[in-house]
Amino acid sequence: MSHLRDDDLVLHYYGEDGPRLVEVERHLQTCAECAIAYQTLTRTLSAVTPPEFIETPPLDDLWALRQMLRDRAGSRARKVSARLVALVWLVPLLYPLSLPLIVSSGRLAQAQILAAPLVVLALAWACAGPFVAAFALNRAAVDFEWLSSRAFAGGAMVAAATPGLYLLVARVLPGLAWWYVALALAVLASLAPWPSTPRSTRNVLVVHRLSAAVITIFALTHIGNQLVGFVSESAYAAALTFLREGYHQAIVEWLLLTSAAVQIVSGATMGMKKVRPGAWTDNFQAISGWYLAMFLITHVLAPGVLNPGATPAPAAVIAATQFNLLATARGAASLPFLLLGVVAFLYHVGTYARLAALAYLAEAQVRRLSYAAVFAGTSVVVTLALALCGVHLI
Amino acid sequence: MTDGDLDVFLSLIERHRRYLYNLAFRITGNEQDAKDVVQDALLNAYLHLEGFENRADLRTWLNRILVNCAIDHLRGVRRRPDMYEPQPITDVAETVASSTPDPERLVSNADWRRQVAAVMKTMSPLERVTFVLRHFEGRSIAEISETVGIGTNAAKQHIFRAVRKIRLALEPHWSGR
Repeated sequence: MSHLRDDDLVLHYYGEDGPRLVEVERHLQTCAECAIAYQTLTRTLSAVTPPEFIETPPLDDLWALRQMLRDRAGSRARKVSARLVALVWLVPLLYPLSLPLIVSSGRLAQAQILAAPLVVLALAWACAGPFVAAFALNRAAVDFEWLSSRAFAGGAMVAAATPGLYLLVARVLPGLAWWYVALALAVLASLAPWPSTPRSTRNVLVVHRLSAAVITIFALTHIGNQLVGFVSESAYAAALTFLREGYHQAIVEWLLLTSAAVQIVSGATMGMKKVRPGAWTDNFQAISGWYLAMFLITHVLAPGVLNPGATPAPAAVIAATQFNLLATARGAASLPFLLLGVVAFLYHVGTYARLAALAYLAEAQVRRLSYAAVFAGTSVVVTLALALCGVHLI
Repeated sequence: MTDGDLDVFLSLIERHRRYLYNLAFRITGNEQDAKDVVQDALLNAYLHLEGFENRADLRTWLNRILVNCAIDHLRGVRRRPDMYEPQPITDVAETVASSTPDPERLVSNADWRRQVAAVMKTMSPLERVTFVLRHFEGRSIAEISETVGIGTNAAKQHIFRAVRKIRLALEPHWSGR
């Protein structure tokens, strides 16, 4: 047996070396070098003793604690304020107005480049939903016993998923009036009693992550291809033709559709479990999940996707429409939908990757990597936005 | 939630209060912080009391809530530079080596405790929590990973890094003798 590593010695000290316990002990009896190292470790760790017990706060403190719990629990369990409920529902109400603004500012920018910031502002408005939802969820706890809480949670979900939901409704029932009918139905649905989240969602999470791996491979390939579109439309069309050979295979289509369904169902099962005021990361993780669920539904229900027998549109035709989204209001509706889809995907996967990285790297290293990932992600989104607005290198 | 619920809750947690305060103190290293962490944990426990139904062990449940509140609290402290000023680990090591003539005697010495506390402050919240649970509380790595909500491998790595920091700061003293 070769010399023991420091980590092996630590595990042995704590009796956590499992089946290797006897083997390590035997080695320590025969290897002087490791025995000395272990002795030093033992000496150090046994000298690190816990601090003295502190006295538990006396009874008068318990009374104060009682008051504090009553006050704070009372304030948390209060109804959600009408202003927050109104805020989250305003997002889908006003969303359709942002689309003609994107188109007209896009036309202005094509004539005069100085108008480009107007496109950015119009896009920011269209993409505001998930951020408004996060802002609101960080300020109010959701208690499904209250009607106002249910209206608030439903509004936050709709606000977060607005671009996808709008596209879906517009595809099935075109016309602004139908959008507002759909919103009215969504308000009514959110007021109904919500199903409770299962206590343990550990197994659901495992299934969610497994299906996410399949979707991630597909999504990364897809995003990579969209980035090729920044080089030129023809390069995108060529890459798309090549990729179609793979993902139009029956088995691949079946795997992707199943994974998407599993993602949506498992995500819905976890629901709002981790959503709570102040927990920005968890709240954004849930919000990006809601967005991605709507994105997947809208994507899967897109014409042609669920119709494997149909001949797909030529790649060049797709490229021509895909990279000219500022031309029509319909195209403009796809712009925030696609950009937020990429942002939500990168955030959702990135947050999980960050947690996984903590198993192998120090927090400071993970933080540095996170900054690099944010920079890379932002670059990807900006490049995609330029490509979708018709800006190409060639 | 009624006053009756609150009374039941307080009577339930009363027998665990001493344990919770001391665990919070071991993790945060500061009485006021321990008090804040326990208050947050009790508030969370009270608000999610229905989540405890059908669970066998109240202490395990409270423990999990407290540990997560402590991690949040430590992260909050690290974000506030006025409250978080850890010495670089090399400074801690130098201080220990120069000011501690007899290790055996110093283990019970207040100065030694301060040195250990200084090393603990150089740890990240997860390193600190996993180390306290493993080293002071004697929890298994499997229990720690479940309590903190991370994988067993992650829990091991945090403990390894915490022990490395302890050794880096304190071992120069032993080896110098």
